[in-house]
Amino acid sequence: MNSSRSLGLMLLTPAIVLVVLFFLVPVALTAVFSFTNMSTATGITGGAYQIGPSSLQRLGDSYGFPELAERLSQPSYVIDERGLTALESAGVDASAITEMRTHLGEVFPTRREAERMIKGLDARPSTREVKQISEQFNRSLLDTRYESEGDLLAGLDALGVEVTPAERDAVAASSYSGWTWTTDNFRRMVSTPDTLRTLINTVFYVAIVLVLFNTGYAMFLAITTYYMPETTGGIFRSIWLLPRITPPVIYVLMWKWLAWDTGFISMFLGQFGVAPKNWMLDSSTNAWVFVILINGFVGASMGMLVFSSALRAIPKSQFYASEVDGASRWQQIRYIILPQMRWPILFVTCYQTLSLLASFDLILLSTEGGPGGATEVWSLMTYHTALNNYAGNLEYGYGTALSLVLVVIGVTLSLIYLRVFNYNALVAKPLIEQ
Amino acid sequence: MATQTQVSANFKSWPVILALAIVSLPLIVMYLYFFIDTITDSAPGSLIPNAITFRHWDFLWQARGNRPSIWPVALNTLVFATTVTIIVLLVSSTAGYVLSRLNVPGRGFFLAGVMVLHAFPSVTLIVAIFLVLQMVGLYNSLIGVILVKAALEMPLGIWLMKGFYDTVPWEIEMAGIADGASRFTVFRRLVLPQVRPALMALGLFAFLSSWSEYILPQVLAPGAKAQVLSVYLASLIADDNNFDLSLFKAVGVFYIIPVLILFLFFQKHLMNIYGGGSKG
Repeated sequence: MNSSRSLGLMLLTPAIVLVVLFFLVPVALTAVFSFTNMSTATGITGGAYQIGPSSLQRLGDSYGFPELAERLSQPSYVIDERGLTALESAGVDASAITEMRTHLGEVFPTRREAERMIKGLDARPSTREVKQISEQFNRSLLDTRYESEGDLLAGLDALGVEVTPAERDAVAASSYSGWTWTTDNFRRMVSTPDTLRTLINTVFYVAIVLVLFNTGYAMFLAITTYYMPETTGGIFRSIWLLPRITPPVIYVLMWKWLAWDTGFISMFLGQFGVAPKNWMLDSSTNAWVFVILINGFVGASMGMLVFSSALRAIPKSQFYASEVDGASRWQQIRYIILPQMRWPILFVTCYQTLSLLASFDLILLSTEGGPGGATEVWSLMTYHTALNNYAGNLEYGYGTALSLVLVVIGVTLSLIYLRVFNYNALVAKPLIEQ
Repeated sequence: MATQTQVSANFKSWPVILALAIVSLPLIVMYLYFFIDTITDSAPGSLIPNAITFRHWDFLWQARGNRPSIWPVALNTLVFATTVTIIVLLVSSTAGYVLSRLNVPGRGFFLAGVMVLHAFPSVTLIVAIFLVLQMVGLYNSLIGVILVKAALEMPLGIWLMKGFYDTVPWEIEMAGIADGASRFTVFRRLVLPQVRPALMALGLFAFLSSWSEYILPQVLAPGAKAQVLSVYLASLIADDNNFDLSLFKAVGVFYIIPVLILFLFFQKHLMNIYGGGSKG
């Protein structure tokens, strides 16, 4: 009936709003922004119009108006009220100002012409004063910021620069500092050797951590703790859960303490005469070992818990029977445990693949992708491109194009998982129908 | 459980314990020294502490160098984690109930959506979210990063709560409705008390997860006013001019204590969620 329906929609609204704002809109915007050249330089809202050395260069080279660019690069001098007021406050002789007022509205294309006029005044200003006065009337378009195209063209008109409509468009386009639509991001992604290297790194990293730790080592932990007295097993499980509950910043700090040149490994090996060094960053092999261990120790805990509860669900009678038949422990693992672990393993693999692909906090905090980009993975490259880098120019457009790759993979795999884990069984009819 | 040991009646368990103890050694060493180093000094080049000191903890009563005092930062973290927890609980408990019990249009679609969102690695959206917050003016504010964190935790919350509501016997609700209570009263007075353990577990998880969160505050609110402990500690470590591992560890212990206390007391509640697939 209606009451159930409207109550349902009402209670669902906050969730829907959050999903739209922080999932659907960002997914759509990731796709949209990946077709722009948005960066720190262009800004993220609309851009402004500004004629400067680089825009004039473009106007000459790309738009084919070198002569117009040359003209615009010249300063020009306009006698206007603003300049006269400035003269008054600068304390220039009042009679000179009154005389200047008769020239109000005149435009001089060069400094020399403006100064010739000023020198010709009856007040006869000194050479130093001439320079001082002329400077107040410098009304060059250079480095003036206009919020809209209309303002820019009005500025052109005020200077008395005569331009054809084609030239107007060229000036506007070349001086626009905001972002524009482009497909260069994808072209760049395919052609840069860095992306290929990062792709290989990512595949290597996900595969190794997944096989060695998230499933392999997790299974080892689950089985060994299963074969122990319950309290001992519980203690070990708690120890191996520590990396997961520890905030990542602290967790990585501990690893840094282990690996830094004043840290544990260096000091320990120092007893045997090995020179101290930063074991985490001194070579790319070592960096990879640490990245894999750091992520693997965290990742092992989820598999450990999932496999442990799956192990406890195996009927005890199967183990008793096998012991009576004289099965070794290895045989129990091989023929009783592992065959019944297919679904838990699949679940953990599916889940952790996405999580490994997307999360980069531990690598960022430990090696930052170094040394020399050796441990840079795709998600970290996105971060370095769009959110934080040494150069300071954050390329949002290229960054979103990079993250679009991960978003597409994420959506596709999530949808496949929905199929694999039997979605229909989960959508039972609601219990009360009214 | 006493029956547990009988599983391997034919075999001794000490070789397994020994093997596991050896591979656990690095973790144990790291965590032990993490605490020991904050209250001791040791001679350069030596691993054995030779003096007890509290000087590494002086950041509690005086600001170090040009850094802000730790207390406003801790307060920010507390506000951040608490608010996220409240939002997650409110949104998940209501939405989970709807998906479990009420016949809304598109229910199957919503359920599938929650499942996909739960599996979807939301951190890939960080660049777009960063740009959205810049555009709406919530960049560098605690409100912005709270909303984002709550939204990203929500799919897990809804999924979990839906599962718990499914186990509540529907006779309770039927009785309430037969007595003339409205659907909302039934939900609030009869059903919510039934899922209190779930709310507890989800609340704890959301709190711990936000307390530990690093990437979101680092990207979305790195400014001094909205700084949280993770960002504070990370910037402390990244600052090459003041290298002091013991100080880092002391701040770290200060930061991790609430986590460890909550974990020790409520381990049982949390196990369900960690085992059920949290992000990480």
